[in-house]
Amino acid sequence: MSDATTLLVVKDLATTFQTPSGPLPAVGGVSFTLKENETLGIVGESGSGKTVLSRTIMGLQPRRNVEVTGSVLLNGFEVVGASEEAKRAIWGLEVAMVFQDPMTSLNPVMRIGKQIDEILRVRLKMDRHAAKARAIELLELVGIPSPAERYGVFPGELSGGMRQRVVIATALAGSPKLLMADEPTTGLDVTIQAQILNLLQSVKDQMSMSVVLVTHDLGVVATRTSRIIVMYAGRIVEMGTTRDVFARHRMPYTRALLEGSPKVSNPSHTRLLAIPGRPPNLLDLPQGCAFAPRCSFATDICRKERPELEPSFEDGHAFACWNPLPVSQGVPA
Amino acid sequence: MLIGIVFIISVGAFYLIHLLPGDPAAVILGTGDSPQNRARLFKELGLNKPILEQYFVWIKNVLHGNLGTSFISQTSVWSTIKSALPIDVEIIVLSQILAFAVAIPTAMVSARKPDGWLDRLLGATSFTLLSIPSFVVIVLLVLFIAIKLGVPHTGVSSYVSLGQDWVVNLESLALPSFTLALGSFVVYYRVLRSDLIATLQEEYITMARSKGISQRRIMWRHAFRPSSVALLGTAGVNIGGLLAGGFIVQYLLSIPGLGYTLIQSIGLSDYLVVQGIVLVVSVGVILINFAFDLIINIVDPRISRE
Ligand SMILES: Nc1ncnc2c1ncn2[C@@H]1O[C@H](COP(=O)(O)OP(=O)(O)O)[C@@H](O)[C@H]1O
Ligand code: SF4
Ligand SMILES: [Mg+2]
Repeated sequence: MSDATTLLVVKDLATTFQTPSGPLPAVGGVSFTLKENETLGIVGESGSGKTVLSRTIMGLQPRRNVEVTGSVLLNGFEVVGASEEAKRAIWGLEVAMVFQDPMTSLNPVMRIGKQIDEILRVRLKMDRHAAKARAIELLELVGIPSPAERYGVFPGELSGGMRQRVVIATALAGSPKLLMADEPTTGLDVTIQAQILNLLQSVKDQMSMSVVLVTHDLGVVATRTSRIIVMYAGRIVEMGTTRDVFARHRMPYTRALLEGSPKVSNPSHTRLLAIPGRPPNLLDLPQGCAFAPRCSFATDICRKERPELEPSFEDGHAFACWNPLPVSQGVPA
Repeated sequence: MLIGIVFIISVGAFYLIHLLPGDPAAVILGTGDSPQNRARLFKELGLNKPILEQYFVWIKNVLHGNLGTSFISQTSVWSTIKSALPIDVEIIVLSQILAFAVAIPTAMVSARKPDGWLDRLLGATSFTLLSIPSFVVIVLLVLFIAIKLGVPHTGVSSYVSLGQDWVVNLESLALPSFTLALGSFVVYYRVLRSDLIATLQEEYITMARSKGISQRRIMWRHAFRPSSVALLGTAGVNIGGLLAGGFIVQYLLSIPGLGYTLIQSIGLSDYLVVQGIVLVVSVGVILINFAFDLIINIVDPRISRE
């Protein structure tokens, strides 16, 4: 893995929304890299900026009232500052997204086959028959029974799990090098969740893609990612190999997440137990560590100065905390 | 249901027209004639019977496909309607083509950047148009376009049908069609604009965007269809309204469509013609709405599934 080429380099990425109540820094100072064929997990509570981050990486943030700074090099293409037209060239073919909610991410009045073969016809210039044949192949690949008949149905005629398979098939249509999966199983039944995650894993291997797997459920990323980024209030607070984040984390928020999470061996469906206190208001962030108001280890410096992300041990492990946990305190994976 | 509505309308029309002052005998004989002659004519026309009985005689004939004969002109009501109706249909079709052809692209332009300068300009324009009644529009158009440019604004006697000479026909119907199109445009533009703005916020639009397809394609292939349900519903009601309410424009421009004929017949107390037109128009309005309901169900499969 270490000699694989780097596919994605994110550096000092920040996304700020202009809202009526002032600037809202949804993502701030995020840097990481992703190699080819690697699966990276991004975890954090709801509202921690995972969706904004994954969309900003693609350049898919809203077009108005938003400012993006920093750099995202995707297979050599600088996404930040690129025009919509330039980004269109990479969307679908270099990078694609599996959206969170299959109930809202498919066009309700367009037959699913048409939604899948749109990329094939418009972007890859395939003719109608070839595109249809390929779309049916894709439906089969994502495990939809009798794909040829399903080609012509509307999303409303399918269950949530089936719809998410259609979303995945659509994302795969352009054979992207990078697949962004934004909470692909939230809102689905437990058994369906596991099926979808396994499906993602198998198509990743078949199509040799890199995957960014976004979730608020650490159980989801435990067995399926090689590295994990933990986000809080739009920033990375800890990152490292999956093993290190589970077994040797140093940041109290990571531990709080893990304590609320089922053990790795459990099925990947349990939601995080609520961490006491509320996520911070991004419009009015505390001066120091954003986690301080909820942290039982907080000291004076935590409330005054924000801890920077510092490298810890090997393999790119890093955390941002003034009073890190001793290594032995980790919850074993 | 449909039959019930038509029945109620037919009763209403029948009753109302008999309430109006004036009677056909006076029109035919002139006011000075003797009461004996009047009574004889009343009897001939069947107007001496109780109104309820008159109604049943009429409706029985209607159900047998016979709308009767005009008291005044002695021509069959159906043939009168048959020669007038195509004019209404043509004006409506022309006006709707115009209205949609302008409303759809402008609504898309507005929805792309809500509150942008183009959207504001279009909004102000449509608001201005909305506040001008159609008879004022006609007078202005006649004054400034028809007379200045010499576009014929026609008259009943000089009316030329589409089959006879389509150029002259289109010229003469351009003005009324344009007038009706203005009103329709404003309504369609506003309804579609707001639905498009809502649709463009949807997650499936972001998903479409993530496929790297053009803005234009997103608008037409992804946003337009789910945004057109209210538009179609409005169009159904509006077109029905144009059929039923086309008389202002027709009357002002002396175009011998149904509306014009209706007003004339009311003035002459030509009961059977009035009743026939009201019946045909109300059936037409209902059919139009029915057709649009069907179209809506095809356009948005969610609706029939519910
Ligand atoms: N278009 C937007 N305008 C303003 N604020 C936004 C917008 N999109 C997201 N946010 C804010 O950014 C923060 C992060 O949201 P999100 O990335 O969706 O969190 P997550 O995916 O981790 O649950 C939230 O506080 C959210 O309210
Ligand atoms: S920096 Fe302080 S407040 Fe923040 S997580 Fe570490 S100990 Fe807690
Ligand atoms: Mg999210």
